Amino acid sequence: MIQVLLFAHLREQVGCENLTIHKKQMTVKEFKELMEKQYKLSTQEVMIAINEEYATDSDVIAEGDTVALIPPVSGG
Amino acid sequence: MTVKDRYSRQTMFSAIGDKGQRNIQKKKVLIIGAGALGTANAELLTRAGVGHLTIVDRDYVEWSNLQRQQLYLERDAHDQIPKAIAIKKHLTAINHDVSIVACIKDVNASNLEVMAEGHDLMIDATDNFETRWIINDVSQKLSIPWIYGACVGSFGMSFTVIPGKTPCMNCLWKAIPFQSMTCETGGIIAPVVQMVTAHQSAEAMKILVEDWAALRKTFVTFDLWNNQFQSIDMTKAKREDCLSCGKERTYPFLDYTSGMKTMVLCGRDTVQVRPPKPVDLNINHLLSQLKKAGYKAQANPYLVHIHYEKERMVLFKDGRALIHGTNDMAYAKRVYQKILG
Repeated sequence: MIQVLLFAHLREQVGCENLTIHKKQMTVKEFKELMEKQYKLSTQEVMIAINEEYATDSDVIAEGDTVALIPPVSGG
Repeated sequence: MTVKDRYSRQTMFSAIGDKGQRNIQKKKVLIIGAGALGTANAELLTRAGVGHLTIVDRDYVEWSNLQRQQLYLERDAHDQIPKAIAIKKHLTAINHDVSIVACIKDVNASNLEVMAEGHDLMIDATDNFETRWIINDVSQKLSIPWIYGACVGSFGMSFTVIPGKTPCMNCLWKAIPFQSMTCETGGIIAPVVQMVTAHQSAEAMKILVEDWAALRKTFVTFDLWNNQFQSIDMTKAKREDCLSCGKERTYPFLDYTSGMKTMVLCGRDTVQVRPPKPVDLNINHLLSQLKKAGYKAQANPYLVHIHYEKERMVLFKDGRALIHGTNDMAYAKRVYQKILG
């Protein structure tokens, strides 16, 4: 089980704050593709962190990990 | 108690002490933007006794600012005082020992480098990514740390960029995000401003007292309404091939072309028009000319507010204009040229 945390407007786009993915393992790239396909989420500009560590496309997400999706915000 | 005691509670804090306080009082900070994050950061640093503050902002105080932009008063909104002028007045009343330079200016690739020279730190208090990417390149080029801060709704984030040590903004996002949330589109509650400011100004104080080891090093992000918090280790984000901080850097965001510049201010139904070079308008002369030509116009020493058909245009002394009520750049340019020739 992979736990997914959604921040800011991504929550509204998906319709909930947390998601659970029933997979043993997947790359960040595969994860992004899944988000785009299943939830119509544009992930191109979203920062991905696995267990509070910055992740790149080739990093692997494993069972038990928490993945956070952080969109860029410009207000100030 | 005397004036001598004004910093006593801060110097009693062992990580600052008398030595740290002397450092704070020697340092120069540039704050880019005087909105919510700008006023809050500026007030804390002024109270902390920073040596010098330069504050730059392109806007004027509006009623919708007062809910979260501390320091500004109803009077400032009523009189449409430029934020740079209002903030300097209020900060000086808080601590007259701090030297403060306030500029009514649009920060861009052609002027930030000169403005930033000689400062020890830049604090990001802007409301757009274009300016942040310019800050990022100037930071790398002049080797000045900067502290990113942003917020929308109940969601905020901050990251401290130390040239040569941490990844930079261009490493993190690789390109200017095309769509990002702003306060005008997503609303904003004041507590999130305070939280982002707390993160930014605490990091700022560590930098000013040169306690480099105490810096947070993580990218912090939180949602105060939905109770989320993440502190992300960014070590892996640094890219050797980054064009802003890598081995073969070109500072791509400092590359600019001259000419009249128009830009849509995101989510504000406003277009900014900037002349190729700043000019120095005679406001009184312009006001009487406009009135003669049949325009409705009011002025203060820094700007003229002009009503033109359905649009409102605010023209600053340096020739820059904000054309409200449109997102059409070509139209905004025509309005501008019709009035200024």
